[in-house]
Amino acid sequence: MENTVYLRMRQKVQVKLGQKITLHDIAQVIAPPKWEQQLSKLLIHEVTPEDKHLVVIDVMQVIRRIAHAQSDADVQTIGPAQSILEIQLSKKQSSPVYFILVWLLLFIGSALAIMNFHEDVSMQTVHQKIYYMVTGHYKEQPLLLQIPYSFGLGLGMILFFNHLFRKRLNEEPSPLEVEMFNYQQDLDQYVIVHENKESEKKIDGN
Amino acid sequence: MGIKVLVLFFIGLGGGIAVGSGLVAFLTVLGIVPRLMQLSKTYEATRSYEWSIISGSVLGGWMILAGHTLSFPAGTLLLVPIGLFCGVFVGMLAAALTEVLNVLPILAKRVGFGQKILLILMAIVLGKISGSLFHWIYYVNH
Repeated sequence: MENTVYLRMRQKVQVKLGQKITLHDIAQVIAPPKWEQQLSKLLIHEVTPEDKHLVVIDVMQVIRRIAHAQSDADVQTIGPAQSILEIQLSKKQSSPVYFILVWLLLFIGSALAIMNFHEDVSMQTVHQKIYYMVTGHYKEQPLLLQIPYSFGLGLGMILFFNHLFRKRLNEEPSPLEVEMFNYQQDLDQYVIVHENKESEKKIDGN
Repeated sequence: MGIKVLVLFFIGLGGGIAVGSGLVAFLTVLGIVPRLMQLSKTYEATRSYEWSIISGSVLGGWMILAGHTLSFPAGTLLLVPIGLFCGVFVGMLAAALTEVLNVLPILAKRVGFGQKILLILMAIVLGKISGSLFHWIYYVNH
């Protein structure tokens, strides 16, 4: 029992080029006091330019290093079986021109989309009918209904994504944040399988 | 005569069942009602919201098919909140559709605007408002 080392890999670690990754960087470790210093400084990986953007460190690799350093250590792993190293290359600044173009594309695109939608579902006729239902008169252009409707459109989208009134309404994550998180998880899952040399074995030995 | 009435009744009922269940399925997939309950913290009112959707659909469907009018004396002012609610609902539908299609996360990741997602969202929101205003005030007359 006194030789047990508990190991929990960190999900994701941001590292710099040329950094020497130690056990402490990529995992939480509980070790007997006599080994604690040595193990937390244990070198696992050194980031080189060949690593490109992402590296996956498998827990097996880590156990091998630990066994090498302390052959009588009994390693118990808990949680994720690998950790993803995200190599921070020089931070590239996205240009504002690029951003403005995307912004305009979305702006004009969504304006077109809503107009197409209105034509598609004969919204004008429906609004005229609602106007008649409520007032008993027919009006060609029921702007009194349509202008609040237009602002309501924007309000509804903001409400759904809960972005502007986050602090006031509640602390729960918005659907957009959950969606971003799920998408990132999917990407990570892909990377774990495809960037990890140990997780696939092919017939032709590649 | 009797058989015609019966057939028509059956066709009408069948059509209604198909469209009604379709509407409810659509709303369920988009998850607007849970979102509203989350925002207003009224999780216990699920049943009343179901009835609100059902009675709204039945009332709206009947009124528009039968051509009834309420002829409210203060009807013109009542149009403002009705229009606003219609807009909020359609806006939420649009937002939920964008979310189901996973447009924004991919866009933010690909183009690298992860931090500016709020600005991206505002582009879509402002685009919707101005597109809609343009449509009603200018486009329909030309």
